Order: sequence, then structure tokens, then C-alpha cells
Amino acid sequence: MTTTPVAQFSELKREQLNRYLHDRIQVPEELQANVMVTTLDKIYNWSRKSSMWPLLFGLACCAIEMIATAASRYDLARFGMEVMRPSPRQSDLMIVSGTVTKKMVPAIVRIYNQMAEPRYVLSMGACATGGGPFKEGYTVVSGIDKYIPVDVYVPGCPPTPEALLYGLIKLHEKVERQSITTVPWYRKGASEAVPVPVLGPDIFDPRKVQVIKEYTLGAAAATRGAAAATGRLQPQPIPEDVKARIRAAQAKYRAMKKQPA
Amino acid sequence: MLDVAPRVRKYEILPSLQPPGIPAVAPLPTGESEDTRRIAERFGEAVLAAGLHHGQQVVYIKPEQLVALAEFAKTDPHLRYETLIDVSAVDRSELPVSDHRFHTVYQLRSYSRKQHLMIVCPLEDGDEPTAPSLTGVYSGANWPEREVWDLMGIRFAGHPDPRRILMPENWPNHPLQKQVPLGGEEVPFTLTWEDPEFESLGKQILEAKSAPPKLPPGMSLENMIINLGPHHPSTHGVLRLVVELDGETVVNVDADLGYLHSGFEKTGENKRYKDFVYYTDRMDYLTAMSNNLGYCLAVEKLLGVEIPPRAQVLRVIMAELQRIASHLFWLSTHVLDVSGTGMSLLMYATRERERILDLFEMVCGARLTVGYMRIGGVSRDIPPAFLPHLEEFLKIMPEQIDDYERMLTHGPLWSERLIGIGKITREEALDMGLTGPMLRGSGVDWDLRRDAPYSGYENYDFKVPVANEGDCYARYLVRMEEMRQSLRIIRQAVDNLPDGPYRAEDRKITPPPRAELDISMEALIHHFKLMTEGFHVPPGMAYQGIESSKGELGFFIYSDGSARPYRLHVRGPSFNNLYAISKMSKGHMLSDVITNIGSIDIVLGEVDR
Ligand code: SF4
Repeated sequence: MTTTPVAQFSELKREQLNRYLHDRIQVPEELQANVMVTTLDKIYNWSRKSSMWPLLFGLACCAIEMIATAASRYDLARFGMEVMRPSPRQSDLMIVSGTVTKKMVPAIVRIYNQMAEPRYVLSMGACATGGGPFKEGYTVVSGIDKYIPVDVYVPGCPPTPEALLYGLIKLHEKVERQSITTVPWYRKGASEAVPVPVLGPDIFDPRKVQVIKEYTLGAAAATRGAAAATGRLQPQPIPEDVKARIRAAQAKYRAMKKQPA
Repeated sequence: MLDVAPRVRKYEILPSLQPPGIPAVAPLPTGESEDTRRIAERFGEAVLAAGLHHGQQVVYIKPEQLVALAEFAKTDPHLRYETLIDVSAVDRSELPVSDHRFHTVYQLRSYSRKQHLMIVCPLEDGDEPTAPSLTGVYSGANWPEREVWDLMGIRFAGHPDPRRILMPENWPNHPLQKQVPLGGEEVPFTLTWEDPEFESLGKQILEAKSAPPKLPPGMSLENMIINLGPHHPSTHGVLRLVVELDGETVVNVDADLGYLHSGFEKTGENKRYKDFVYYTDRMDYLTAMSNNLGYCLAVEKLLGVEIPPRAQVLRVIMAELQRIASHLFWLSTHVLDVSGTGMSLLMYATRERERILDLFEMVCGARLTVGYMRIGGVSRDIPPAFLPHLEEFLKIMPEQIDDYERMLTHGPLWSERLIGIGKITREEALDMGLTGPMLRGSGVDWDLRRDAPYSGYENYDFKVPVANEGDCYARYLVRMEEMRQSLRIIRQAVDNLPDGPYRAEDRKITPPPRAELDISMEALIHHFKLMTEGFHVPPGMAYQGIESSKGELGFFIYSDGSARPYRLHVRGPSFNNLYAISKMSKGHMLSDVITNIGSIDIVLGEVDR
């Protein structure tokens, strides 16, 4: 056991470094001061996770806690994350912090599409994860993960800064597990953009999915088409092919569960 | 419409039901006051009823005479109601009445006479219910009337800009109408993910297609039009401003709201009274305590409960702490926006704000969404460690405020960016219905805590800071001084903290102590009733305004005698104050728009509700 502060410090440093060194290749004693051997994956992930720049992007109450996390007491700079970038082009991590409304969700998806890969999404709080306290309401989507892929969920309403930090550490762990040979962003060809949702009343009650669908699709058609002139919105039946799709899905499900039709 | 099971409400049938057009559930105003008598004399037949209701002056007026009444109230030397605080509406289709489905409700205030007047206007039934617009009398009616049209579907004849304001253009209904369902199933998660019905869920995800952008009225394509937000670091949330620029000079600003509209009012109408307290936290999330307080006071007004003195003082302490916390947050973000290098002030101000949040965590376990107050008092007494910590905070805070001032007040950068920017004259402020520091920065000496005291504020000695310049700098000074005055109030409150119960002993409203449940059957019954059904609030309507850190936060509740509010409307100060952004920014530089947004001190959760 070392005792002097200097020795303690170098001990600590070695300990931290060890995680990133190659586990089998041994460096000769005389070279150890100057040479380290690691794998490309390890150094690549280490550098990515140590300066992950979040998107400066707040939605509701949770954003206040996100700011508190970045400010003096909790100090996000410890994780190399204090550079919050307002531009999606420069950021690696989107923290969806707050209530996602139907009016906002197209904008969020567009911002997500504008972020350069590799990109990560952290869903902060009950609202972003599942609609939160407003889930029953008419304007809130129940979870951002229906629209963009989410890497880490942090529960809470709002999550405390400690919880958010824990989520970020989990994200770092996820980054460390990735390998440069398999990550999607080095594959050939451009990756597909996530479709931007079209604004409209969402579906709420799964038991009434058909009714609501006919109503909302009808309303959307009516406002666009000739029916708009009369000012009255008539429910319209959904198209046959969509119905067939739903029926096929149901059949598949029943077959899977071995239920009678 | 959707086949959603109608909610069952029980109505107390009241005796003496009245001339047509008057509510069948909320009782008529009784008695009279000087103002209502004067109005009744002047308008004769057109006044359907006038008098006092829960201590509020209420006038029922026919729509034909509404504008005349507003003009009379504004200009008559004996009335002088200078400002229109709020516009809301009630859809009475679920009440046992057959006529006059919609009522519009207006709140007027007279600052010079310290009076409040509620005007109710029963509208004629028809395909398109229409009310006369008050924008000609009070220009501040503009946005609230647009909100009523958007959410309630009431047209306003003569409105200069009759667009929707919160919901998207193509929204199919007016969500606050009673036949429109809240939206969801009451108990979520009844299906599993493997269920095929989920395959079709959320299938409005189509290929990227955006509605062609619409030019806001009054703007011309000759100039450059830029979008500020909804994702922008300086709009304090998800505000979108459409700015018309000539060079770098702002010609026009149009605010597009609703990106955070989470349907508080509709949700509130579907919750029991006691359950909505927690929702109010999430409205203006920087002043959760004040929101709690405003809502509880409004319900207590209808219930007529007596709040024990200790609870009142605790409420005052919390509300004032919250005011300081909110102003600190405003200060740090404002400096960050304006001077760019202001990160250090954010760090300092957050340091002090964290101390306040620690205090909150101590009393209720949460930092931000506190939910500390209850109808009838507060949720629990303060722990023993609270007061020593508060003392310490009171000791260090004045110095810190001086520190901030030393960094800013005489700094050349700060004054350069703030002095003379976003000027609002006294008349404009009154006309637009601005409240809070926006009003006091323009030279109107008005503070609800002093002039219409609630929760025992009349017992405290504090000053109301007022500045006359009406620019961003004046508002900055007002807010800084308000923090000091809040400290004074807390000091007095701590010194005079009485002993006693921390909530009303009315078992119909507040739950019995846990220990009593083991020994008393009656307590058990009360507890069970309260937790399952909630309490019933006698029919009536109440408007309660309180001075939150942003301005007058008002709750309007229309009760039909059941355990849920029949109509709940929130007057968010940020919403009404934000209306001034266009007037403040015209003719200035684009960068001043950012200064103005910071100076109004908006919280989008409250603007959009
Ligand atoms: S999860 Fe809670 S705190 Fe976070 S945005 Fe939603 S309501 Fe606000």
C-alpha cells in the first residue's frame, strides 16, 4: 500500500488507465513509461465517451433539472460534457428533457435527423419516457421512443441531477461496449432518416383504436379535401388496404398465441 | 364523436332558479356593492344579475351590451377598471340547463381603486357561438380571446387576428368543449406490446411532409423572415417567434405558442380537487410553490375553510423562497442570454438556488415539483433542521444579492444592452394587461400581496419596488429589489411563526393523522371517503389571483357541486406578459428580441399550459 500523495496519484492513474490497456500484450518494463498498447475499440470509445457533447435542448420542467446538473453543484464538466451545443450538427447526445407534445414531436425528429452519427438519445423523465402525468391528455405523445430510438431512460418526475448523472454513466458504459467493426455508422451507404411524424390527433385508447383512427383520418382528409369548404368534419372509413394490414397483423398474433379468430 | 362513456355527475338542484341565461348550478350573486349598483343602474335591463358572490363582484350582462359595459367600466371616473386581467369561458352542456351553453367570463381590475370585477356574459346558442371582442377596449384581450376560440370554439366578433393560438392550425376540434374526451383511457397499460392492435398505434408516422409555412398576418415577403425556435437556446423553452427583419431591424414579431401545451385545464376538469395540486407544480415549474398556493386558495375560497395561522405562515415562507429561487434562475439565464460571458453568474446564482431547493427537499422530498401545499393547509410540518438552515440562508443571501449587483448594475456591457430596450409606457402596460415586474417596471404601483392580500400577507411589512422607465433595466432593478423584500418577509415570518396545527382540522377536507386511524372508526371512514371520492365543493365560481414571481397567477374555478372542478381555468402571467413581445421588439435590433424575452421572464409551461 502506497502512502505518499504522489504515489497515491500515480496508483490511481494506473488503475484508471488499466481499463483501457490491452489485456494480453505486455510492454517491456523499460518502455512502460513511454509506450502503452491498447485496442482501437478501447481508445476510440474512451475518447468518444469522455467528450460527449449534449444538445442544448430543453422542453419542460425536466430541462430545469438538466441545467441544474450542468451548473455549479453537480458540474457536468466532470464527465467532459459541459460543452452544450445548441446546434444539432455539433452534438452527440440528445437529452429529451420534458413533455413531448404533438406539436413539438415533428421538430424533435427533425433535429434528431440533423444530428451527425454517432448519436445517442437519453429520455429524461416520465414525460419523455411515457407521457408522464399528461399521458391521458389530448396533446401529449406517450413516449418519445415511438418516434426516435432511445438509448437510456431515466425515470423520475423530474429525475434528480444524481439520477441524470447515473443515466449518463450508463450511457458511457453502453458506448464502451460498442465495437468499431460493427457500429452502424461505418457501414456502406447513408443511414436512413427517421420519418418525421405528421401532426395530428394521436391514438389514445387502444381499445378504441379503430374508431379513433377512422375519426382522425377522416378529419385530416376533410380539412385537406373538398369537405373543408363546408366546415364540417365527417368521420371517414379508413382505406381497405390499411384494414387488410391490420387484419393480417391480428391473424399473425392469434396464430402466435394459438387463439381462435 | 367518439363513443366515450359520459361522466356521471350529480347536481344539487337549487331553489329559486332565476331569469333565463343565469347558471342553474352556480348560485346567483346576492347583495350589492357600490360598483355593481352603479353598473346595474346604468345598464338596466341588460344586466341579468349583479352582486356579490364569495366576496367577488359579479355582473351578468347580455352580449349586446358587453362592449359598452367594458368601456363604461374603464372610463367611468367612479369605476376606473383600467385593465382586463383574464378572459375565459364555461361550456355548460353537461349542466342541467338547456339554454346559453357558453358563458364567457372576464376579470377586470382597478389598480387605482383596488377593486376586482367579474363579468359573465351568457352567449346566444347557435352553430357558431359568438361573443363581442373586447380588443377595442383593452388590447390585452387579444391573446386570451384567441385562446378561448382555440380551446373552447367561441368566435369573437371584431377580433383583429382570429387565429388559433395554442393548438396546431389543423386541429379537428376545440378540446375544452365538454363533448370532446380528455383523450385517453383512464387506466393505461391494459394491453401488452404483442397485441396486434399496437401495430397500428401511432401510425400517423408517415413520410416527412410538412405543412407549407403560413405567413403570419401583417408580414410581407419583401423583408427577411426568420424563425426563432422552437429549438433555440435563448427562447427559454419551446417558444417559436417568427421575426420579420429589415436589415437587422425588427419590423414585426409573431409568437407561435403551444409547443408545450399539455392540456392542464382539461386534465384538471377530470381530476378530483385534491389531485390537481400536483399538476400545478408542472405548470410554472420555476414557481411550483406559488402555483400550489394559488390553486389551493381558489378552492378554499369556494369551500370557505379556515386555514390555521401556522399553515398560512409556512405558505408565505415557501412562496417567498420560491420567488427568490425563480428570480435567481431568471437572473442567471438572462445574463447568459444577454452578455454571452455570463456563465459565471449562472454558477453563482445556481449555488444559492440549490440552497433553496435543499430547503424544499427538506420539507417535502422534492426539489422542483414540490406539491407541498394541500387544500386546507400544507402536507406536513417543517422538520426541526429546517429553521437553522433557513437562518443560515437568510444570513448569506443579502450579501450574495449585493454581489450580483456589483457584477451587473453599473457594468457598461449590462447597461448598454438593457437601458432603453423594450420600453413599455404605463398606459401600454395597463392596456395590455401586463402584471408583476412588467407592470411595476412601468411605474404602476401594484402588488397583489399588498393590495389584495391573501394568506396573511397584510401582516408583513415590506416595500413594493417600482421603477418608471419601463425598459429592461428597470425591470431588472425591480426584480433585484424584490428578492431583498422577499428576504424581509421571510425574516418576519420566521420570527413570528406560530405554533399549532399545520392544516385545517376539517375531516371532510384533510385526512386524519395516521395514529387516529388505528383507534377511531370515524377517522377510518373519513380517510376512506377522502381517498376514494375526494370532497365535494359547493357550487359556485371563484377567481383567485396571487402574486407569483412572474405576475398575477389566477385560478378560475367553476364548481357544480361535485368532487371535480366543472371548469378550471388558469391565468398564466407569462402568457399575458409575452403578448408584449411584439410591441417591445419593433424597431429594435434582432439581438434585443433576446433581451426582451429574458426580461419578460417567461416559462413556457405556463405560457402554453
Ligand atoms: S417528467 Fe415530470 S418534471 Fe419532467 S417534464 Fe414531465 S412533468 Fe415535468
